[in-house]
This record gives sequence, C-alpha cells and structure tokens, in this order.
Amino acid sequence: MPNIAVYIEQSGGTAKKVAWQMTAEARRLVDRTGGEVWAVVLGDAAGAAEAGRHGAHRVFTASGDAFARYDAETWTRALAAFVAARRPDLLLVGATATGKDFAPRLAARLDAACVSDCVGLDFDGGFRLRRPIFAGKCYAEVAVEAPVAVAGVRPNAFPLFAGGGADAPAESFDPGLGGFAPHAAVVETLTSAEKKIELTEAEVIVSGGRGLKEAANYQLIETLAAAMGAAAGASRAIVDAGWVPHSHQVGQTGKTVSPKLYVAVGISGAIQHLAGMSSSKCIVAINKDPNAPIFKAADYGIAADLFEVVPALRDAIAALD
Amino acid sequence: MKIAVCVKQVPDSETRITLAAPGPELDRSGFTRVLNPYDAFAVEEAVRIKERLGADCEITAVTIGSDRAVETLKKDCLAVGCDRAIRVNEPALENAEPLQTAKVLAAVLRRGAYDLILTGKQAIDDDSAQVGPMLAELLDCSQATVVTKLELGEGVFTATCEIEGGAAVVRGSLPAVVTCQKGLNEPRLPSLPNIMKAGMKPQETLTCADLGLEIPAARTRVTTYSPPPPRAACRMVAADDPAAAARELARLLRDEAKVI
Ligand SMILES: Cc1cc2nc3c(=O)[nH]c(=O)nc-3n(C[C@H](O)[C@H](O)[C@H](O)COP(=O)(O)OP(=O)(O)OC[C@H]3O[C@@H](n4cnc5c(N)ncnc54)[C@H](O)[C@@H]3O)c2cc1C
Repeated sequence: MPNIAVYIEQSGGTAKKVAWQMTAEARRLVDRTGGEVWAVVLGDAAGAAEAGRHGAHRVFTASGDAFARYDAETWTRALAAFVAARRPDLLLVGATATGKDFAPRLAARLDAACVSDCVGLDFDGGFRLRRPIFAGKCYAEVAVEAPVAVAGVRPNAFPLFAGGGADAPAESFDPGLGGFAPHAAVVETLTSAEKKIELTEAEVIVSGGRGLKEAANYQLIETLAAAMGAAAGASRAIVDAGWVPHSHQVGQTGKTVSPKLYVAVGISGAIQHLAGMSSSKCIVAINKDPNAPIFKAADYGIAADLFEVVPALRDAIAALD
Repeated sequence: MKIAVCVKQVPDSETRITLAAPGPELDRSGFTRVLNPYDAFAVEEAVRIKERLGADCEITAVTIGSDRAVETLKKDCLAVGCDRAIRVNEPALENAEPLQTAKVLAAVLRRGAYDLILTGKQAIDDDSAQVGPMLAELLDCSQATVVTKLELGEGVFTATCEIEGGAAVVRGSLPAVVTCQKGLNEPRLPSLPNIMKAGMKPQETLTCADLGLEIPAARTRVTTYSPPPPRAACRMVAADDPAAAARELARLLRDEAKVI
C-alpha cells in the first residue's frame, strides 16, 4: 500500500496548478491500491488549505525564516528530513523551474530513484512511471527499483480531482535545518513587465515561424494569442533571427509543451519543432504549403496564406459565443 | 581557476526513433552522435572565462563514454579551447541513469579542486536534466540551473536562471555547478588546425576501478519503450475563402475538438 507525498509549490500564496494535478492523480492511484496522499508544504501554508479538496488525505507543513527565499539546498534538506521521518514510497514534484532545480538534488541526497517529467503513474507492487524521451519521439516506462523515488511531473499531464475530497488534517514536521546556511540562494526574481502566460503551463499556445516574414509580423501571433487567452511561442528559426527571445522557443532545444490546443502558424514542422509540441492534445496548422510536414502532425489544417487566415481566425474566435 | 566541463555524446536532434511495437529495447545502433547541444554552451562559457582570465585558468572536459566519444572530446572540447580531457570508459555505464552518471562524475571531480563545474541544462536523449543538481549535492556545493548569464567574482558567482515568466538571480560561493541554457553565449566552431592540434592535448582514460569506485547500481529500469500515441489524419479545412475557413476552424475547435 504505497503512500505518495506531493510537494505543493506555491507562488504568491497560492498553490501551482501542477500541485493539485499531482494530488489528484496520486489520489486516483491510491484509491485503487490503498495507501494515502500526503501534501507537503514548505513555508507559508496558506495555499495548502484546499489540499483535501484536491485529493490529499493529510497535509504536512514546515515553517520558518529559512523558507522566505528559495534555494535548492534548504529545500533538499527539508524534504529529505520529511522523507526520513514519514517514509513515503514516492515523492512527486512538479516539473517547474523550481521543481527541476531541487528534485534531482534531493534524490541524490536520498540515494533514491529519480524520474523526470512523468506523464503517467501506475503501481503493480512497484511504481511504473511513464515519460517522454528524445523530446517526445518515444516514451519510456520506467520501473522504480529502490525503496523511495522522487518523480517530476509535467504540468497539464493529469486532470484535477473530481471526487470531492474531505478536509485534510494538517500537522507540522521538523525540517531539520538548525543553523543551516546554503552555499547559494535566489537573491532576486525578475519578471517581465507584461504579464505573459508561461508556455509550459499554458492550456492554449499560438506559435509563429519563418512564414511570418519579418519580426514586426509576430504581433499577428500575439494578437491571436491574446484573443484566445493563449501563450505565444515560436520556432527556432525566428528565435535565431532575433525576432523573439529564446524563452519563446518550442522544440527539442526549446520548451517541451503539451497544451490542450497548439496552433502552428507559418511553421514547417521540422523534426526538432515537432519534438517539443507533438504531445499537445489538439494541433492546428496554418501553412500555405499543403505539403508542409506540420500537417502530418496536425489534427486540423488550413493550407492558405497566414496573413489572410490569422486575422480572420481572431475575428471568428471573438465572434464565438 | 580550475574549470571542469561535463559533456555527453548524444544522438543528433535529427534522429528518428523507429519502433514498430512497444518493447524492452531501443535500437540505438544507427544513430549519428554529436556533442549534446546544451553542453556546447558549457564548453563555450568555460573557454570565454579562460580568455578573460588568461593562463591562470585550466579547463578539463570530462565525459563518460565508449571509444565513440573520443571524437566529440577532441573536436568539440579540446579543439575549441579545453586544455585536457578525462573519459571514463565503462561499458556497464552505457545508457546509465543520471544518478549513476553523477556518482561517477563526482568521483572524477573530487580528484581535482575545481572551482567551477559547467554542464548542459539537460541532455537531449533522455531529457532528464538531473546530473547537474545531483553533482552539486554529491560535491556539497552551490548550484545554479538553466543559466543564461554567469558572472564570477572572488570566490563567488552570480547566475541568471530562466524560470517561468522571467528570471531568478542566484548568488553563492564557489565551487559551484552551473547548468547552461541557450542564450548564455554563442558557441564557436572548431577550426581545422585546432582539430589537428587537439590530438596533442593530454587525454586520460579511466575505469571505475581506477577511481576506487564500484559501478553504482541503477535505481530504475526502463521496462518498455513505446512509440508516441498515434494521431488521426489531419482534417483539412477548405481554404478557398480564408474568412469562411477561419470560421469553420473556430467552430470545429469549439464543437468537435472542444478545446476552446
Ligand atoms: C540541434 C538543433 C536543434 C533544433 N531545435 C529546434 C527547436 O527547439 N525548435 C525549433 O522550432 N526548431 C529547432 N531546430 C531547427 C529546425 O530544424 C528548423 O530549422 C526550424 O524549426 C524551422 O523553423 P520554421 O518552421 O519557422 O521555418 P521554415 O522551416 O523556414 O518554415 C517556414 C514555413 O512557413 C510557411 N510559410 C511561408 N510563408 C507563409 C505564408 N504567407 N502563410 C503561411 N505559411 C507560410 C512555409 O511554407 C514553411 O513551411 C533545431 C535544429 C537543430 C540542428
């Protein structure tokens, strides 16, 4: 009967969506196998109040000044102390920038199995985790062969809990930090002035490629994205051309995304681009070349000039009621 | 300053994975192998630091790999400015999991007092992005991951790390493990004369036994490799009239795909 701990990452006093996606999936699993779901919170526990509703049976919190700013070493020590005290069989961590920063460090400290970017979670006496490799060109099912595992979970891989959970009792734990000083820490966080939707967390993404012809036309992508409540992405061709920053790049050497809807505009569909977005639930391609490889990866396609289709699509979406 | 750059030889990004059916093996024999693209940023950053500091800086490239990896060490590391190379050749570590890799790399790195350990933010074959932070834990030192800007001071560093919707500035003491992201620099290409000369630079080949290390045990096992879930054929929306096509697409996305 596995017990699954879930690290609840918060930002500005609320839990990240991926945290509740993980508690939900863990709950669906232990409802079959037996065992419990434990939400683990470091620092301000405000965001943990809803943990029960999202499937957790219990909440464990550690507070203190040490958690006022993030650093990988403090997080590693505190969660290692939790694992040592409570012995969960699996600890799930969202594959966010923070999660990816400390989870491997924690696994090394625990000498645990470590599996990144999971999109499937199963148990048959041992954990079996499913994850994309080669940027999604292939999937691996990974069997855990250690007493404890740390697994990263990709945002949007799992739906939220619909089972109407009860209140989860909370208790505190000792993070064992007594006087610990990390070698390095975050001293400043810089957020871009405009409030943009983060690609890896977005439910809808509109991406543009070289078919846009020039940098100024990327605004067509931004306008359509705004109309759809979407994040704006890009192919490497226009990142390398300097039209948009690298943080917009989708693909093997950019972001791997799996939104509900991915709209590729003026993108040919090179294998490295497909690698980053082919696990999207629904893919739309707009490209004037009917033979462009992107159509092989798409669910819906329009083979026409993007300069005519994109503004029309923005209007058509605005007109939906 | 002593810098180590940990690199991996990986299948090139053009690689197509052909899997007729799910199975326990992945045929890797036909792959073209290149330096992991993110490791190229790590090599370049090391060389730029050396160019700033002059002779007072030595760069060691470290890899775990079979004889096949020698070419990558020579052409992509030594020929662009690394001073020496260490390769751990251990057939049992072919396709090792990241924790095994990190334990062996840590054993190599403990033999030199490195101030800075650079590596790519992830390898593009298994996409785990684990080795960097694991190394930092095993060496009990600072870490900064997905770094797009790095500044060094007297025994300290400041790194700009990519995070959701912005950047985080991490400051700490050296030694540090820094994982490199695109944007940090623009890697140079090796010149032919430098490739010729690279063969003369010191290269050491070790086994785990040489490091006084037993081959670390794996904590995970891949039981099945499977192709991505198949996708239905693309439904082309008639495009004679762009406005009508856009309206039809919007309707399909709402009523059929139910994604907006
Ligand atoms: C190591 C390595 C890593 C890479 N990593 C990535 C990565 O992470 N992400 C990535 O995207 N690429 C990556 N690439 C690059 C990739 O191989 C392609 O070069 C790139 O994706 C092409 O971008 P594109 O589709 O925008 O441009 P193109 O291939 O030039 O395609 C432009 C498309 O626009 C269409 N078009 C032109 N005009 C119009 C119009 N008026 N209306 C509609 N359509 C139009 C054309 O038909 C064409 O299909 C990588 C390459 C390498 C070697």
